[in-house]
Amino acid sequence: MQKYVIRRLLLAVPVLLLSSLIVFGLMRVMPGDALIALMGESGNVGQKELAKLRKDLGLDKPYHEQYMLWLWQMVSLNPGDSIFTNEPISVSLKKAIPVTLELAALAMILGITIAVPIGVLSATRQDTTADYAGRVVAVSGLSIPDFWLATLVITFSAIWVHWIPPIGYVSFWDSPWRNLQQFLLPAAVLGYRLAAATMRMTRSTVLETLREDYVRTAWAKGLAGRIVVYKHALKNALIPVVTIIGGQLGTLLAGTFVIEQIFALPGMGRLTVEAILYRDYPVVQTNVMLVAAILVTLNLIVDLTYAWLDPRIRYQ
Amino acid sequence: MPATDPRKPSRRDVSRRTFLKRASWTGAGMTALVVGAGRGRASGQATAAASYPEWIPASTKPPKRGGVLTRASAWDPPLIDPRLTQSVGLYQFAGLTSNRLVRYALSDEAGGPSDLTLKGDLAESWQSDSANRVWTFKLRQGVKWQNVAPLKGRELTAADVKYCYEAYAKEGVQTFTFQEIEGMETPDKYTLRVHLKSPNTLFPQNVAEPIAIVFAREVLEEDGDLKKRLIGTGPYIMKEHSRKVRVVLQRNPDYFDKGRPYIDEYVILSTPDDSTRKAAFRTGQADFIWVASPSEVEVLRKTNPNAVVQAYHNTLAPFGVALAQDKPPYNDVRVRRAISMAIDRQKQVDTVFEGHGIPGWGVPYLYYQDKAPTLKELGPWVQYRPEEARKLLAEAGHGKGFETTLFYYEYFPQMSSQVQLVQQDLKKNLNIDMKITKLDYTTYYGRYVEGKWDGMSWGFQSGHAVGLDERTYHYMYSRSTKNFFRVNDTVIDDLTTKLRRTADRNEQRAITKKIVDREFDQVLRMWMPYDNGFLVFQPHVQNAAARALRRSDGYGSPTLARAWLDK
Repeated sequence: MQKYVIRRLLLAVPVLLLSSLIVFGLMRVMPGDALIALMGESGNVGQKELAKLRKDLGLDKPYHEQYMLWLWQMVSLNPGDSIFTNEPISVSLKKAIPVTLELAALAMILGITIAVPIGVLSATRQDTTADYAGRVVAVSGLSIPDFWLATLVITFSAIWVHWIPPIGYVSFWDSPWRNLQQFLLPAAVLGYRLAAATMRMTRSTVLETLREDYVRTAWAKGLAGRIVVYKHALKNALIPVVTIIGGQLGTLLAGTFVIEQIFALPGMGRLTVEAILYRDYPVVQTNVMLVAAILVTLNLIVDLTYAWLDPRIRYQ
Repeated sequence: MPATDPRKPSRRDVSRRTFLKRASWTGAGMTALVVGAGRGRASGQATAAASYPEWIPASTKPPKRGGVLTRASAWDPPLIDPRLTQSVGLYQFAGLTSNRLVRYALSDEAGGPSDLTLKGDLAESWQSDSANRVWTFKLRQGVKWQNVAPLKGRELTAADVKYCYEAYAKEGVQTFTFQEIEGMETPDKYTLRVHLKSPNTLFPQNVAEPIAIVFAREVLEEDGDLKKRLIGTGPYIMKEHSRKVRVVLQRNPDYFDKGRPYIDEYVILSTPDDSTRKAAFRTGQADFIWVASPSEVEVLRKTNPNAVVQAYHNTLAPFGVALAQDKPPYNDVRVRRAISMAIDRQKQVDTVFEGHGIPGWGVPYLYYQDKAPTLKELGPWVQYRPEEARKLLAEAGHGKGFETTLFYYEYFPQMSSQVQLVQQDLKKNLNIDMKITKLDYTTYYGRYVEGKWDGMSWGFQSGHAVGLDERTYHYMYSRSTKNFFRVNDTVIDDLTTKLRRTADRNEQRAITKKIVDREFDQVLRMWMPYDNGFLVFQPHVQNAAARALRRSDGYGSPTLARAWLDK
């Protein structure tokens, strides 16, 4: 197990290096210029002034030097400052990460809490109205884009119940109730997609497991339905469900980009979107690398969870 | 066998056929409802739009002190250093934390939306020498900086303004305006004498622009920039600025205009999404909002029937088709005229702007005539005459049309429809194949202001300026760095220079009219229809009306120093 984890961590290094090259390259080939965005609003941007600013920010150096410098900054956990605000990126991240983490965690909790019971119900009541309803909900969740659902939810909340989550982020530690009001609706919207995929997978794997011989044996022994389904069938049906949840984490993080815009939450998504629009290279590069590192770690955690769920699985 | 056995048929089974049948009926019903709702909205909008006033006079009631004014804002200040940005994100509040030497009349002083009277702000009076090269400003005495470290409420002097203007001239986005200053003197604490490099009767208007705020020298000296703190002499102190969350302004108790401002706090909530801003207004989380079209106003008024609506006065169009007129084929005036005549502007007004908009012109009409020009008054080359356009283009040697490109950034949703209508008109009437490229803001901006592009762009002029000098000399003089439309016309150069040397108001109007006539005759900037949209206020918001070219939620924010809440 230990060897497996070390090997996976070592394999993560080339993945992250490749990601860093891609994001660095993409930012440089993108048309537009951070300094034009910064200075250009009046149109009177002198070439001398631009050259001076480029030098100050180290943007006049050859690309390979810029890349190596940035890589060193990342390795030494000092990603530098934003071109736009001069704020250290670590400070921006310190503010943004808790917002995104809270949103993603709540979305995941809501998504799984809804998906697994409905998936099981759908499987145990196959081809009934409840099953059809569950499947419609699941298919809708997969087909409705997050931004559209979020817009509908916020608009109709305002019209029908004259309430929307309070705008203007407040941290959980400052005001737990206000913070939860701000997060529940966006987390529900975000969690819906996760719930949809998980619900479908739970349904099909539970259906499959319920047809296994050992489940038939359990029925034959006269065990209670609840014990057969939840104790014998569900645990074994969960491995593909965990895989799908792991796979959905990337989608979940991507979803926060849109949801944070709509619900005005100052998380990683908004920070990155704004940085891309303003060509704030250091911020974009750092954020993308952080997301890449998170995904690599989460995938590893998901892989390790298999062994816990199914003792037959061994890592070598 | 237990009831949960999945193999056991249930009494509640629904066949696929039944399910599909029910789903089809539900879908058909929903479609009918949506279509019906859409029709209802469309029929009501035209009559409603016409009834919204362009001006909301100041309240006759005595103002009440206190309360919190809140707004959900699309803009987040990219940074708060006024030397480095002219972004509306900053100036939606910078005019409340800081003052200028002179300013335009605020909502409770103005006679109407078109009132562009200059008033003293930090200056009590101002006058020029006979040559209009030396301007002397007498400052108000006893104006204090906000009682915040490191200023701690010290008195403002002429040296502060001098320092600030020198900093603007030295670097940043305002150099063009302030580099026309040759030198400054401060004969005493309250007198600032500005020597210009060339005569300019419109200099006070330039320093009345919201972007010309006076910042604190101590902050620049201590921090090396103005990115962290914004301290001024204005009616509000910046209490909090959390990027992408909120800006909180708190009443300055030491403000020189005693008794003002009336509202205790102004909170600007960063809300990038349009539907969320509208939801915030609907639920009372925002006290006022800007919306683009009459139909949007109507939709808002369904949930907020008591909302007060102001149709924001249209004085100019900030957007138009910019041609690479220094290169063929657009350096031929016949080609420019043909293209202009092939575009149906009225169709854009009627469809894209729901009948509420102007056909488009660049210099605010207020500077040369009393009433907004009609399409007909804008001259022959703006009229939709496809036959003449075809002939003229053939005369110019392009009878079979040609291929061209146009790039743009979608500043507002209707813009894409406008671009497509122009593409359609040019193809249909002149056989010009226009390839459209939609860009993100930074790419568009960089390419556009660099001014080296070929073909066409959906061009713009900045929205921050009210002044005549800015709208003529700054944007049209051939060597101006703000000449984005690449105008290179000796007549325009002469006229705009002459305008700066003319003090008489009537003569100014006459020269401005000549500039506008020349611009339209030579099709130097091909303006497109535009509508400024609407401001919608909760009924308790008083004295916050927008004036011409000055939206209270944007560059016109200083007017909120006179706003109050009737609740």
